[in-house]
Amino acid sequence: MKKLYGFMFAAAAAFALTVSSASAQTPAPTESAADLREIEYGKDIFKTKANCQFCHKWDGSGDQGYGGNALPLRTTELTLEQFVETVKCGRIGTGMPYHDRFAYNDKRCYDTTREELGNDTPPIANEYLQPREIAAVAKYVFARQKGRGVKGSYEDCLDFWGKESKQCEQFK
Amino acid sequence: MQSKRIAGGLAVSLLLATALSTAQAADMTFDRAVNADKEPQNWLLHHKNYSAHRFSQLKDINTSTVKNLRMAWTVALSGYQSGGRYESGNLEVTPIVENGVMYVTDGWGSVYALDVKSGRKADMLWKMDPGTDRAWAGDVACCGVNNRGVALWKDKVVSIALDGRIFLINKETGEMLWERKVGEPAVGETITAAPLVVRDVAITGSAGGEFGIRGWLDGTDLNTGKQAWRTFTIPGPGEPGHETWKDGKNHYLHGGASVWVTPTYDPELDTFYVGVGNAGPDYDPDFRPGDNKWAASVLAMAPGDGKIKWGFQYTPNDPYDYDEISEHPLIDAKINGQDRKLVTHGARNGFYYVLDRANGSFVAGKQYIDKLTWATGLDPKTGMPLEYDPKLDVQQYVKGTVANRARPNGDVKCPTTTGGKNWEPSAYNPDLNLMYLPTAEGCNSLVMQAQADFKDQGGTVNPRDRFTGGSGKPAGDVTGAIKAVDPVTGETRATARWKYPNWSGVLATAGNVIFAGWLDGEFKAYDGKTLEELWAFNTGCGIKAPPISYSVNGKQYVTVAAGPFFLGTKPPDLKNAATCSMVYTFTL
Repeated sequence: MKKLYGFMFAAAAAFALTVSSASAQTPAPTESAADLREIEYGKDIFKTKANCQFCHKWDGSGDQGYGGNALPLRTTELTLEQFVETVKCGRIGTGMPYHDRFAYNDKRCYDTTREELGNDTPPIANEYLQPREIAAVAKYVFARQKGRGVKGSYEDCLDFWGKESKQCEQFK
Repeated sequence: MQSKRIAGGLAVSLLLATALSTAQAADMTFDRAVNADKEPQNWLLHHKNYSAHRFSQLKDINTSTVKNLRMAWTVALSGYQSGGRYESGNLEVTPIVENGVMYVTDGWGSVYALDVKSGRKADMLWKMDPGTDRAWAGDVACCGVNNRGVALWKDKVVSIALDGRIFLINKETGEMLWERKVGEPAVGETITAAPLVVRDVAITGSAGGEFGIRGWLDGTDLNTGKQAWRTFTIPGPGEPGHETWKDGKNHYLHGGASVWVTPTYDPELDTFYVGVGNAGPDYDPDFRPGDNKWAASVLAMAPGDGKIKWGFQYTPNDPYDYDEISEHPLIDAKINGQDRKLVTHGARNGFYYVLDRANGSFVAGKQYIDKLTWATGLDPKTGMPLEYDPKLDVQQYVKGTVANRARPNGDVKCPTTTGGKNWEPSAYNPDLNLMYLPTAEGCNSLVMQAQADFKDQGGTVNPRDRFTGGSGKPAGDVTGAIKAVDPVTGETRATARWKYPNWSGVLATAGNVIFAGWLDGEFKAYDGKTLEELWAFNTGCGIKAPPISYSVNGKQYVTVAAGPFFLGTKPPDLKNAATCSMVYTFTL
């Protein structure tokens, strides 16, 4: 697990250095076929299985409403490792749910348990995620959202939603 | 005796109907709609009758026989696909049944005509898929991918889709004859309510109160497919009520007040009654000082031209998202020796209201929810919450319950943001004189985030952005109940509890049995007087749609759709519940 996160952190850091001025949907030259596959996989989880977009919005720009006040991921100051931990464990005292099924059964999250936290235990996500899914969704956010301006572009929108919907017309 | 005669007559007429094609079935006329209760075998209107009684006159299934209820048939629908913000569609449809043909919709707007005459299966006669732009519409649906059903008109079916369109469909073939764009998802408008058809006008409204729309009702002339009228629910300059938007920045143009449940209608007064949603932004009342009419209100309107006759506001300057879109059942009753025509409402704010439907004057109101903490009661003369202060531009109600700019984190208050009762419909049994309210029992708190302006008003918010000014925060479990209340006083006479909030609504029947579905798939029958549970079946899939009853070939059936989307976090014991998209029908 730790090894995987370490690798991801290094990959993301490298990626961030190389693509800072690239357009959002253009893969960085350093993204291998395996990277691209994992990023696509992460996008699918962000969009559908974990439905991160319901609260954070499709471009990760953050939102408010029935999902709670969800922070913008595009401007997150979390490291990749911290981000993974947040997806896994949720955020105590907020609406950010935990996605690791056993998060508060033992002390793997923030060295605490459900019993100790009581009502401050984060909500349970509607779908639990396996470590490789959490890694993929984190990779997607760091590759396609973080550090790319406060809102997604038209190209980002097409990448996320495809060309068959009117969804992206407003971003032209 | 009476029921035997009806059943005999039904058998003959339904045999005839079986022999004829659906195209030859009687046209759906205004006269038939007004007299819908004279066709107990059918469920012709969304709320069963124009008064929204959701009361079936059929009584073969009754308190003695209901224990023998068994499943007759089930059928799978589509509509579970993801789109926009949602991982799946949702089934909230009230089926329409005419002479052995059932019309149901899925959340993405497909209409299905099912031949249910055999009593053992549903033969799909046709399906009309309107090709809804799922990403576009689903991204601005606040609370799920919903479509609550169709209406019948002449030999046609009238339906709607989330992406803002209304359709006229050939009832025999399913061919779409025309479509009209009514709502505009480009500005956050979506349509989810089944249309109300009065004479030749189909009335619908726009959802989008969390996306900065200005709500409206719209009449479509079904003969031409063109707009007959449009009325905004928030009055414009010079119209009564406009003065209740005191911000001085034209915030009324993004003030919410959406409409997403089918209105009721009184043919004698030629007036329809429609519940209106919360003001926007939901949780930042300082953004919109004033009472914010007609948000969180009921409007009485003329179906011919859409003119507002009167309005009554339940929660002025609503800071809680107590959206009052749900049905407004009509009843006639004697009060103090006088015959009164009344309009009633189990409100999201936790009070049950009774108004005079000719003029909107307050008659009675009573708390129906277990715990209500934002107000201490209603003024017996005006019906206003006791803590309402007309001198204040931003209401405070019970101290601490409001989140606002001075105090962004509100205390826990009850009922929850989703209300004591949300859209799920009540039912009324005129024989027992009881109104059945489906409830959600619980509390939450609010967190205010100062709302920025829309770009067209000098701010940073784009069309289709959420516009809520904060959010709700859970505070413990929310359970549910069905409550039988006196329809004139609101006094609770009986209660049936369950461990989840009720999201299906209620069916009442002349057999003095009521039916309701639950999130864990339990479909239950209760004694109409005592609410003692008489029968239950588990569909294996959560129920969020209202049950109906009809008969074919003289045999009574009860139908309910199952296929839930969970807004927010699932109840822990339903954590692994998957969605489905099914219709279940039961008979003796």
